[in-house]
Amino acid sequence: MSAKRRMWMSLLAIAMMAVVPGSAAAQGWSYKDAAKPYAGRSITILDEVTPLQENMRTLVPEFEKATGIKVDYQLLNHFEVISKGQADMLSGRGAYDAVMLHSPQMGLLLDAGVIRPIDDLLGNKALTNPGLDRADFIEPAADSLTKFRGKTYGFLNWNYNVVYWARGDLFGHAEEKTAFKKKYGYDLAPAKTLQQMRDIAEFFTRKKGEKLAGQTLDSDFYGIVMEGIKGGTTLWTVLNAFVKNFGGDIFDAEGKPTVNRPENVAAVKFWADLWKFSPPGQAEYSLIDVPTVMGNGIAAQTLAWSDFVLGIDQPGKSKLAGKFVYAGSPANAQGKKRSAETEPSGIVISKHSKQPEATYLFLQWMVDKSTQQILFDKSGGAGVPIRNSTWALPSVKQSKFAGLYVAMQESLKYGSAKPKAPKLFEVMDVLVGLVQEVGLGKKTADQAMKEGQEKVQAICAKCTL
Amino acid sequence: MHPLTPSKDPAPLTLPSPQGGEGGGESGYGWFPYALIAPAMLMLVVVALVPFLYTVYLSLHEIRHAQVGDWAGLANYRTLLANPRFWHSAGISLLFIAIAVPLEFGLGLAGALILNQGVRLRSIIIPVLFVPTMMAPVVVAILWKIMLAGSWGLLSYNVIERFGILTGTSVLASPSLALYALVLVDVWQWTPFMMLAFFAGLQSLPLTPYRAAAVDGASDLQAFRRLTLPLMAPLMAVIGLLRLIDAFKVFDTIFLLTGGGPGTATESTSLFVYKTVFDFWDLGPASATAVVIWIMFFAFANGFYQIARRKLGAF
Repeated sequence: MSAKRRMWMSLLAIAMMAVVPGSAAAQGWSYKDAAKPYAGRSITILDEVTPLQENMRTLVPEFEKATGIKVDYQLLNHFEVISKGQADMLSGRGAYDAVMLHSPQMGLLLDAGVIRPIDDLLGNKALTNPGLDRADFIEPAADSLTKFRGKTYGFLNWNYNVVYWARGDLFGHAEEKTAFKKKYGYDLAPAKTLQQMRDIAEFFTRKKGEKLAGQTLDSDFYGIVMEGIKGGTTLWTVLNAFVKNFGGDIFDAEGKPTVNRPENVAAVKFWADLWKFSPPGQAEYSLIDVPTVMGNGIAAQTLAWSDFVLGIDQPGKSKLAGKFVYAGSPANAQGKKRSAETEPSGIVISKHSKQPEATYLFLQWMVDKSTQQILFDKSGGAGVPIRNSTWALPSVKQSKFAGLYVAMQESLKYGSAKPKAPKLFEVMDVLVGLVQEVGLGKKTADQAMKEGQEKVQAICAKCTL
Repeated sequence: MHPLTPSKDPAPLTLPSPQGGEGGGESGYGWFPYALIAPAMLMLVVVALVPFLYTVYLSLHEIRHAQVGDWAGLANYRTLLANPRFWHSAGISLLFIAIAVPLEFGLGLAGALILNQGVRLRSIIIPVLFVPTMMAPVVVAILWKIMLAGSWGLLSYNVIERFGILTGTSVLASPSLALYALVLVDVWQWTPFMMLAFFAGLQSLPLTPYRAAAVDGASDLQAFRRLTLPLMAPLMAVIGLLRLIDAFKVFDTIFLLTGGGPGTATESTSLFVYKTVFDFWDLGPASATAVVIWIMFFAFANGFYQIARRKLGAF
């Protein structure tokens, strides 16, 4: 079935669903009926702009048409969504009925009591689609994000994740494969463990004039590239893709800071050791620069956000498009617990919303199976699933990114929302500067983690809620 | 014509007489001038004074989750002044302006003097000089990111790394170089502004003193030191003060190019305040920071104003 045909079929499906939704129809539920008491009302939703959300915006008129609820669906950039959405909720202004929240924001806003729980709405049979199928949401992302002290706060709406991304053309080169096996004693393949990732990084780091896959290099080539900027998601990648795989964490079960525990020191040391195989500018690389460097073809592998991969592994975007391979975020070969960096973000109803029911209907529609299917069809099978059922969609299975989806699925098994800590941004800001200095060789991991413990303790003695 | 003199005599400036006739002075206008400036003053009060007074109010209260709580006295100020990160950021800002502004000033003045010599294609050069100044800081930051990004930036890849000028790191990733890179960006953006402002000043200088100096046998350097500099001093004072204030507020380029890093090597006061407000939501200390910066600037600007008025005849 062509992508265009699939899209039309999906649009027809959502139009049908809005009036007589599939499984819900059999149980006598429709958005049209559920929205009758709220028809004519207006709601304002704040979401973050990406191609996926821009596609969502094109679907909103279908919801409006079916329900009679007028939706002002506003899309702002990452920083504005955080500052404006948070300011609106904390100040009580109530301009937005629902706001997209990144998981690190949850602690502060839950502490402030400005997120409206939706358990009463979920339990309302007139409002809740019997086909909502909450068990279909990808776990542990959904529950780790939306559940807190027995209550549910919003829906999982974004599910970004870090995957392992490597140069398939180099990994498949006969000479490189032979040389790698000779040196390390096992086959060259996408790294399943952090230790393999280190070996690959070491193996592929070459100087200008040396050979790489039979070609003489006209500039240095690097075995790995990682995010290293002070800010972005550097700290979270260090924490979730390395520290937790080493058995560490920055808080204990009671939420007290444990930054200087030995596992953390060992993990940060391991991460910083990889910097010697990385491009010189890594300390300024953000989550946007990393895919750019991979696309430019000067590094062999990385850990990168999968949604950015979608923008690079495309004809015309990189000369290496179609030559990349993917895998889930690697485990620690000696580790007992596995972890991956993911960013489950949600859309929540503001406590100050005067239209919680109408807003709930819209949020429910956004995460509905049919809506999600259309989103993926419209984007040509390029997106980040929030539902398990999405993996089985033809547009996903037959996508040119099918390999990437397998990697995403693997990473998402091991990723959770960030800790619900009101001072999390402050903690993050302190620690990211310190780990960056370890990467740059300005501090040892031991010194940095010790200093981090003192500084985090000064911010919060008990950090999580 | 003397090389360091204005290129033409400016047209004499004439002002209309007040209604009261000659010698009527300000009083001759009655309430009318106040009525004319009232809308602008009202706007200033609404958009500048009221938010500032509210900031002072916030700085004296406990604030949790953006909700104003009890009276806190000077607690927020004590917290701020005990925070080494604030002092570090203030140091970074001062270092930034101490390097950037004199460079912009010197290069701008030199450029203006050259422009004033009747350079060929001046009508093309002047509009081109406006380009960096007219660009949004965000665009400037992106442009320089493309130039300096480690391993893939145009300048980094083709010059810095190719010729081994810097090994094992990049300009923006180096704690010892990142601030200078930001200075370079600022100089690139604002030197043309200084140059054009000084050029406009040079163009408006009277010719007569220069003719007299030429008759007396003054050299170019003497004319520059004894005439150009004193005559330009009021303008230089104003432009210099504006640039100092503006350079202290630099935010966008730092935010986008280094995020304040590596470590805290480029964390300016503006970035510190931004993080305190929008990342940490510590509105009490953030408001106190804003007030402290205002007091520092008020003291500095007032001192500068007094000196410039008395010694240079500016303002």
